Amino acid sequence: MPTLTIDGREITVEPGTRIIEAADRLGIDIPRFCYHPGLPVAGNCRMCLVDTNRSPKPVASCWDPCQEGHVVTTNSPRILEARRSVLEYILLNHPVDCPICDQAGECELQDLYFAHDHQASRHPFHKHHKDKARVLGPQIVYDAERCINCTRCIRVCEEVAKAPQLVQVQRGERAYIDVFPGTQLDHPYSMCTADVCPVGALTTRDFRFKCRAWLTHGIQTVCGECSRGCGIRADVYRNEVQRLVPRHNPDVNQYWACDHGRLAYHRFETGRVAAVRIGGATTDYAKGVREVAEALPGAALRGVAVVLTPWMTDEDAWAVVTAIRSVAPGATFAVGGAAPGAADEVLVLADKNPNRNGLARVLADLAVTPVALDEIVAQAPALGALIVFGAEHAKAEALAGALARVPLSIVLAALEGPLTAAARFVFPSTSPYETDGTWVNEQGVVQRVRRAVQPAGDVRDFAVWASDLADRLGQPLPAPARASGGNP
Amino acid sequence: MVKVKVVERPPADLVVQSWLPELWKGMKVTGRHFFVNLLTQKGIVTSQYPEVKRVYPPRTRGKHRLMRREDGSVRCVACFMCSTACPADCIRIVAGQRDDENEKFPVVFEVDFIKCVFCGMCEEACPCDAIRLDSGVHRAPAYTRKDELNGKEDLLSLGSLSVARQGGDLK
Repeated sequence: MPTLTIDGREITVEPGTRIIEAADRLGIDIPRFCYHPGLPVAGNCRMCLVDTNRSPKPVASCWDPCQEGHVVTTNSPRILEARRSVLEYILLNHPVDCPICDQAGECELQDLYFAHDHQASRHPFHKHHKDKARVLGPQIVYDAERCINCTRCIRVCEEVAKAPQLVQVQRGERAYIDVFPGTQLDHPYSMCTADVCPVGALTTRDFRFKCRAWLTHGIQTVCGECSRGCGIRADVYRNEVQRLVPRHNPDVNQYWACDHGRLAYHRFETGRVAAVRIGGATTDYAKGVREVAEALPGAALRGVAVVLTPWMTDEDAWAVVTAIRSVAPGATFAVGGAAPGAADEVLVLADKNPNRNGLARVLADLAVTPVALDEIVAQAPALGALIVFGAEHAKAEALAGALARVPLSIVLAALEGPLTAAARFVFPSTSPYETDGTWVNEQGVVQRVRRAVQPAGDVRDFAVWASDLADRLGQPLPAPARASGGNP
Repeated sequence: MVKVKVVERPPADLVVQSWLPELWKGMKVTGRHFFVNLLTQKGIVTSQYPEVKRVYPPRTRGKHRLMRREDGSVRCVACFMCSTACPADCIRIVAGQRDDENEKFPVVFEVDFIKCVFCGMCEEACPCDAIRLDSGVHRAPAYTRKDELNGKEDLLSLGSLSVARQGGDLK
């Protein structure tokens, strides 16, 4: 366990730790471009140079391992001069087109220029021009002029996605990143190359020119596209999700997220259930809840069946089960959910529902034994009421048939589909970006889902609907469920 | 220590209470202005708008205009600097891609004159000399809120050629 000193502060680290990692742990900032904590070390940008007592020349702190008795200086005049020179060299042919660059505002080159270089270009000749806006794949656009050839993107493809599709071609100032002839950058993690790009060379086509980075505010939430539950940050501007980017979670997704999950927010931009409907006629939310509350006790005499969705949060599940059992103690519950899909070796799991684990735990806590979905479909003609939560059920057609045969059929969903067409009562509910609560992923990691955008109109969380229904039925839910609420 | 000056009230005798001397004094002022203006028209501050319009000072901030390049295209590169700087949040831009080296341009560029306070922050923030408030055109009121939204074409119609180096000149 070597003990070393960085800027006069001592730290003991495991053997093999790089100096830059030890400095990060101490909170000492060493500027870097090519180093990324989730990727193998390349050591080509020379931005992280530090002085040590073991070398006459500055060394790259991302490459040099910590040694016993190492004395490291990160801010000597020689190092500050080295950083300034490295930046001047990197910026030699940089187009400085920050006004039209999507990275501006979150660009490491921009930040480091202002922190360490801050001088006008001394380059008197024409800058070297290269390709701009070159489409590398379905999700990624490449600007060769902005590229600083740090090769982070190449390492993401090779090490994270296990799909070596990018390569560095040419040498010196002509070097640029490219795909192999006749191929394109199309692996399922291609957008991670834009995340790790420290400059605006690789940008996503989804976010390109859509919004400036500094206008958004990031909400830390969780992706719901599979049971992995990758940590994501929803960047929001004017109450609209502009993009999703992965956030670091060492227990779940490291630094990465798949392209599918990052584009999933588009699903909730169209085809939303806009208003409460009773028998196809639009009505207001209060009237809808009142009519359900009036009809439900009568229907409960014949039997109530409820189809829950593994997309609902734990809080939603608790409130829904508690509210419905207060009026129909013998209600049967089933768990629906999206059909299993393809999985891969990196992050994507086969179960395409984010909270199957959490829902099972809540139901077990409430002593509910869910029955099979087919059983409810078979019972449908004898039922008094059938309540379906969510639209993302694999057996939607069979459920829609069952809904049509039940006197009191209720669907709460964010998206229109066969279920909302078949039900008598339709309530709009929140999308995963509009709700707040807890999901438990397949590995059992409990994660908080946060509301990124405010839902419009009569859109309510399941828990809020259940709470309002319980109020109407004269059996209000205990206080904690109300605290999880959505719209007041 | 504050000095207090005590002002004696004039006695409210019959002369003061009749108001006649003060009335006479006031009518003298009004009458003087009336006859002077009638006979000489000297020093009248009323301007005969709209027959006669006042000349605005040269640096007046009027309606925004969008400048053009030599090829006639809009200079704006949709960098959102103006809308970021705008304290009234009155500029709405939707960016699009163009195929030449300028790459980015505004598909929609809308200034909401209901919100605009004509502070000039947008033209100060602009790195491309694309937006200016020097049109000298006064913002006219409109009948509907929609008419207060001035789109790209409206702003370009006031615009003219600018040959300033894009991004400014460091040297």
